Amino acid sequence: MTALPATSDAGSARAPAGRVFKLLVLLAIIVGIAWVAVTNLGADQAIEQLVNALTRGAIYALIALGYTMVYGIIELINFAHGDMFMVGAFVSLTFLGQILGLEGAVTNIPLLIVLLVATFAFTMSIMALVGVTIERFAYKPLRTAPRLAPLITAIGVSFILQNLVQLVYGPYQTNSPKIFPDTWVIEVGNASIPVLSIFIISVAVVLMFSLQLFIGRTRLGRAMRSTAADRDAAALMGVNINRTIAITFLIGSALAGAAGVVNGLQYGVARFDDGFQAGLKAFTAAVLGGIGNTLGAALGGFIIGFIEVGATAMGYTRWGPAIVFGVLVIVLVFRPAGLLGQQLGERA
Amino acid sequence: MKFARVGVAIAAAAIVVTACGGSGGAGKDLKVGISLPLSGSALASAGPADKGARLAIKDFKLDGYTVAPLVLDHAVNGVHDPQQGAKDMTALIADPAVVGVVGPFNSSVAKVQIPISNEAGLLQCSPANTNPDLTKGDAGKELRAKNPDKINYVRVAATDDIQGPAVATYGIEKLGLKSVAIIDDTETYGKGLADAFSAEWEKLGGTVVGREGAPKGTTDYTAILTKFKDASPDAVFYGGVTATGGGLVRKQMPQVGLGELVYLGGDGIQDGPGSVEGSFINIAGEAAANSFSSVAAIAEYPGKADFNAKYKAEYGEEAGAYSASGYACAQIVLQAIKTAASKGDVTREAVRVAATDPNTTFETVLGPVKFDAVGDTNQRIISLYKADLTAADGVGDWVFDSQVNYGN
Amino acid sequence: MSVVTDLTPQAAGGGRKRALQKTASKHHSWTIVVGMAIVGTLLAVLAYIPPFTLAQPSNAWIDGFTNAGVFVMLALGLNLVVGIAGLLDLGYAAFFAIGAYTYAYVASPFGNSIIGIPIVESLGSNVGGLVFWPMLLVGALVAATFGILLGAPTLRLRGDYLAIVTLGFGEIVPIVFLNSDAVTNGTNGIGGLLRPALPGMGSFSAINPWPYYVTMLVLVTVIMILCYRLVESRLGRAWEAIREDELAAAATGINTVTTKLLAFALGASTAGIAGVFNASKLVTVSPDQFTFIVSFTVLAMVVLGGMGNFWGVAVGAFTIYTINNVLLKTLNEFFDRVSMPILKDINFIELQFLLYGLALVAMMLLRPEGLFPNSRRQRELHTEMDEPGADELMGGDHELEQEDMR
Repeated sequence: MTALPATSDAGSARAPAGRVFKLLVLLAIIVGIAWVAVTNLGADQAIEQLVNALTRGAIYALIALGYTMVYGIIELINFAHGDMFMVGAFVSLTFLGQILGLEGAVTNIPLLIVLLVATFAFTMSIMALVGVTIERFAYKPLRTAPRLAPLITAIGVSFILQNLVQLVYGPYQTNSPKIFPDTWVIEVGNASIPVLSIFIISVAVVLMFSLQLFIGRTRLGRAMRSTAADRDAAALMGVNINRTIAITFLIGSALAGAAGVVNGLQYGVARFDDGFQAGLKAFTAAVLGGIGNTLGAALGGFIIGFIEVGATAMGYTRWGPAIVFGVLVIVLVFRPAGLLGQQLGERA
Repeated sequence: MKFARVGVAIAAAAIVVTACGGSGGAGKDLKVGISLPLSGSALASAGPADKGARLAIKDFKLDGYTVAPLVLDHAVNGVHDPQQGAKDMTALIADPAVVGVVGPFNSSVAKVQIPISNEAGLLQCSPANTNPDLTKGDAGKELRAKNPDKINYVRVAATDDIQGPAVATYGIEKLGLKSVAIIDDTETYGKGLADAFSAEWEKLGGTVVGREGAPKGTTDYTAILTKFKDASPDAVFYGGVTATGGGLVRKQMPQVGLGELVYLGGDGIQDGPGSVEGSFINIAGEAAANSFSSVAAIAEYPGKADFNAKYKAEYGEEAGAYSASGYACAQIVLQAIKTAASKGDVTREAVRVAATDPNTTFETVLGPVKFDAVGDTNQRIISLYKADLTAADGVGDWVFDSQVNYGN
Repeated sequence: MSVVTDLTPQAAGGGRKRALQKTASKHHSWTIVVGMAIVGTLLAVLAYIPPFTLAQPSNAWIDGFTNAGVFVMLALGLNLVVGIAGLLDLGYAAFFAIGAYTYAYVASPFGNSIIGIPIVESLGSNVGGLVFWPMLLVGALVAATFGILLGAPTLRLRGDYLAIVTLGFGEIVPIVFLNSDAVTNGTNGIGGLLRPALPGMGSFSAINPWPYYVTMLVLVTVIMILCYRLVESRLGRAWEAIREDELAAAATGINTVTTKLLAFALGASTAGIAGVFNASKLVTVSPDQFTFIVSFTVLAMVVLGGMGNFWGVAVGAFTIYTINNVLLKTLNEFFDRVSMPILKDINFIELQFLLYGLALVAMMLLRPEGLFPNSRRQRELHTEMDEPGADELMGGDHELEQEDMR
């Protein structure tokens, strides 16, 4: 099974020099892209598009984390995960719109902070619950089934979630209260950077960082890693497999819920079929980064954000998805296990 | 498999209980087929058309005859499916009681349905198809190849080659705009509309500073809008419907700093006041100000208020963008049935002839409608509307602005 | 163990085994023909009796069966790739699209103008349809070529990486068709395709479903026979070997590269045939006919049917198609005509997704190995080749055991 490394050097025996080299290459690529962007677009555009790319990437990354965690531990491509994101978006809009009765921006800063915390807490808890429930009833019974069976089930679950939301909220786009004012901007030269974008990127980074810490430092995290590495051995060591898997789903779904909240703040609408596209991109991100590797998933999410915005900046929005997949294919040709994935030996 | 078996078992039991209804030949019990995509995301746009059509059928009375709707949904997994559309058309044709069809909604489905209905000589009225290739020119002829002299397909929507130029003319001449950036949703309607708009805009001397395509399902337009910002256009044109992004684009424009720009669109975003769920004004909210759209109809057709009231009374919700078109199409089919009945037997051929007669004017909720030799509506009057956020008791609505006559 | 044995025909008893294999194949082919004839007749009869006639008219049933047949063709091909060779392909619709557009280029005025050969013009629409028959082969070949092209980058990939790349191709191909207006007419698609024609009969009709239905039955039969032949050949054994353990397979001398590419190619070719057939029936091709949903639906059919088992897969395809495209859509009409009290008032159209999803989940929870799984175990229990019987009809030995396919 693919390992679920906590940090990027878990299980890898690369020489320090090689790592430094890789870092330099990465730096060179980043500088190169920045240079191309600035010369072609102008500094202001470059900065604004950079922020756009990071914001978009942050949302993809949050969803990708859930995908990669679940895959790492039970080798299931959870096609319903994108819909968890969608349900999260609806939970948050119900909370803000119907339960709290809010409509527009909230400018009182302390109040805004309280509301944000409450929304995240509420949505993430509910989504965690939903995720665990689905795992218990739809995926657990299939743990010993042929591998494609849970895949089909996942899509069945996806359809069910979509239709339920559609029955309640209708097939139209539904408004989600944008409580974070998007008039707050920071001016850098001629470019304006919305504070909301910074907030979203920070939320994503904080959550990712917390996740890495959790997986790397806590007992539960260790349990998850060992279950991902070798389920039977972990069981022999006293790890409660069922509980570990349930917790994985719990965390993954909570992260998807967070992505849903963030989506609502940024775009202000949600629709029952939002999950499919988002899920597809997040899955691509997870694979790009090396499926099973949480850092890779985050990296993949941001990379896809950059590719898409880059495509737009060059006038190729129409070809966006094709370019994303094209890049994926090229990366996989040279690194068949993804960017940060680990080439394990042949498995039977 | 289990479900199919259970279904069959229930059916078998039901047969024992109820007498078989018989095959119901044409005779006096007529049916009007409704072929639309009605599940999933397609429901948002086509659902209102279905409801409108059924309302007209419900209201219809003709001595000695009963007319009932036969609704077939050709959305598969939430999206219109041409293969299913073809199959539904076959099903409608196979039912001898069906003498006319309202639908389809999407041009790609019309392309597969028209050859079938043309061969069978069954009347089809679309409330929403706008692709010119369905009726005009060689492409149109190809579709009718089996019975080239027997037009059976008509539509109440104006074709894209009229609306786009109308909006362009309005923008340049009435609003005095010079440069525009265009987004289309890569679908037949949206892209066709945007192409027609763009061509006319440049012909009139304006400049198109950017053109991007964002397929349905795109939620983030900030990158595209940021790019447009660089070119400082006077306006942004959206080719598509609200459901594929028309409302979202407008909503994100202030976020990127383009909130002051004029927003132009076709009848795809002209979908009712802010109280209608999922409508352009509902989604764009505050940002909807300074938006303009077109409609291929005489402005404020007399029956509008009555129709809206009747619709709301029946369904408990506001009429949607295509409710009136669906109603009008059904009216036309029903009117044709009436004409056929007055002349003798109500057969498919009689109904078809009555509906496609270029000399007949149909009184519909959209106003008087007449079809030309290839089935296109004569309503080539394009009305321009402006979004007014203070209208309709503060929820915002489209308010009539002016009219352009593209009639030949 | 039996895998290794079969690959070295010089092993003891190999000669006799081969002879038995040959009879079994021939036996198989006739079994398939007879089986399909029976199924075809049975379905045709069903379309005319209640309760089926209560849900929709008979012609609609026949037409529906023909559409289901298209999916059966797709499912059989995907079964080669996923079920037999163990390569998880999530973008199968791409080959379907390629077959369809290939036909469009040859059989439509627009297409002809692109390739520069005025076929439609010179042959006319009544006789022009004769090109359909050779195009079936051409479509298969073109799709097979793309199968190799798209399969090539995936050779080094494992399991789910392979899946996402194929999914990527499944997205890329329709996007290319969508955005290349000059060559493909973009979102409007290519229309005016010729319907198939037979000498003496003229071209097929739009309202008479029977010619298409019979053609579909013939095509499915041919494809099924080919599939069985392939699977019982050395190539088939090689596919199963790679599926079970690629390293061991390579160690026994199998060229994994060629074997995998052939899997993609041959799997794609049936999609090509299905594409040509479908295009000739809809007389128009457009990018929105080839979404990911199509790829996924075919995969569900393969899994449901019991991967590896061709008859099973065909039944799975038929079942899912009927549930999704017929049953769920005609519930409204059915309960209306039958006038059942509560059920009559429910609008089943809005519940379609829910019911379909529930059906999928239920089917997987109740029978995750598929409707007709197994056979490897069955084969080991019965002495092989002794009794051509029911299990032969159910399709022999190509199945994944639980927990494999990693």
